[in-house]
Amino acid sequence: AKHTEQHEGRLYNIPLEEVKAVFPHGLPQRFQQQIQTFNEARVMVRKPALELLAYLRGSNFTHPAVRYVIYGERGTGKTMTLCHVVHYCSRQGWLVLHVPDAHLWVKNCKELLQSSYNKDRLDQPLQASVWLKNFKTSNERFLQEIKTQKKYMWGKRESTEEGRPLGEVVEQGLARVRSASDAVGVVLREVKQQSHRGSFRLLVAVDGVNALWGRTTLRKEDKSPVSPEELTLVHNLRKMVRNNWSGGAIVTTLSQTGSLFKPSSAYTPQELLGKEGFDALDPFVPIPVPNYSPREFESCYGYYLERKWLQHEKAHTEDGKAELQFLSGSNPRQLDRLAGPL
Amino acid sequence: RIMPVRWSRYNPSYLEPEVKKESYQKPLEELTEEERQQRELKAVRPIKAAPATLSSSVFSDPMISKFTNMMMKSGNKVLARSLMSQTLEAIKRKQLEKYHRAPENEKETIECNPYVIFHQALKNCQPIIGLSNITKGGKTYQVPVPLTDNRKRFLAMKWLITECRDHKHRRTMMPEKLSQELLLAFNNEGPVIKRKHVLHKMAEANRAYAHFRWW
Repeated sequence: AKHTEQHEGRLYNIPLEEVKAVFPHGLPQRFQQQIQTFNEARVMVRKPALELLAYLRGSNFTHPAVRYVIYGERGTGKTMTLCHVVHYCSRQGWLVLHVPDAHLWVKNCKELLQSSYNKDRLDQPLQASVWLKNFKTSNERFLQEIKTQKKYMWGKRESTEEGRPLGEVVEQGLARVRSASDAVGVVLREVKQQSHRGSFRLLVAVDGVNALWGRTTLRKEDKSPVSPEELTLVHNLRKMVRNNWSGGAIVTTLSQTGSLFKPSSAYTPQELLGKEGFDALDPFVPIPVPNYSPREFESCYGYYLERKWLQHEKAHTEDGKAELQFLSGSNPRQLDRLAGPL
Repeated sequence: RIMPVRWSRYNPSYLEPEVKKESYQKPLEELTEEERQQRELKAVRPIKAAPATLSSSVFSDPMISKFTNMMMKSGNKVLARSLMSQTLEAIKRKQLEKYHRAPENEKETIECNPYVIFHQALKNCQPIIGLSNITKGGKTYQVPVPLTDNRKRFLAMKWLITECRDHKHRRTMMPEKLSQELLLAFNNEGPVIKRKHVLHKMAEANRAYAHFRWW
């Protein structure tokens, strides 16, 4: 689909090879299962996504990067709108920095190393190497084009000279897992500095951005809690999200499901980001994502019927449809979960 | 605190609750005499409390709810119901994948509806004849005996659940195990069908004692 849609509520198809190339790590779990069962990836075009795409098309790239925050209740499709925007940008040829879920960097980490670059900070080799691998698969051609502008030392003997392609930095990070988070920091810094010149556009897509300013569940070896600033990955990502660079856009999503120490009824930016986060992200464009409108609900229902996902005999009737709409409250996630066993 | 009402003894004048939507939507002319009397009685007499398992949804199925009740442990109906829905979804996914990969002429033979598969698998697992212990002259004999419908259904469901719980690898999830068992039973293969055949053979072997039965 050529993305010039003004059609709301329609579903468009993404060819499977593109899905593997563009989204090595971005899609929600249920959606991946759905892709496997139906053998195709179908994303619904909705109003918030169309708004975002219109803004991106009309934005002036000499101004500082504009921040967009997608927020909404649980299960209304924020991650899917983010994936839609990411796909659009990768089609247009932008460099996409997609962080699938910032909450993964802030909880359940088995290994924490002390950073060699800066004594106070803590490294996360596992998460950093996983991210670098996925970054490599999604942005192959940019890794050859972008050249480093400074000399970087990895430990005593290895160093990367000026003018080498970024692919080498990524290889270095993957090969030496200990310095993987520093490699991530280098990549982010290079990309930020070079997007000024305008040879490529940069999109920073972060899912679950409220993890960067909350608390972590990690502890140091002396059982004292770790605050997010002490993690190199989080520190570097915060620098990216500040809008002191131009030539691209920052699209972020709030997420309550992965967030730590926040009540489950919180969904506004004010509550989820906390005071620090809200001040840091302050001039941003909020994009609310509502539940399905009646038209979108009908199109989703029609898609399930066509793909034979709703197998129960009564599900084909008017009563069944009314019941599904009532039970799910037009919430996309609830509809998906209800339509599973039926 | 929730006081159990359903199992307490009601006055015989209390009537059962009517859940089906269609019975309330019939206009007055279509009713027969008895139904009109029933309606008037309902307007006057008190009605028992509806049990929590009774639902007016079009998607509810009594067999499925019986099965979920049997799978439930220590009253955790939420967990049992979620396991059941995951099982049905797993069956549907497997069948749909097979369907989309099959060539055109075989597509019609593949059954994708998890409810149809569940009912057919249960029917295939039900034994026709059972054994009961009868003591005569100091010795207990295994006597072949006809089973009621309820008993057959109960035995089929019980065998399925015990098979999944005991004879599988510890780390596999219940929905996976159950969906595998149901698909095998649907095609008349698998350990539960074998157990049914073993029971039938025992009953056939003990045919001589059939006259011990007095009912």
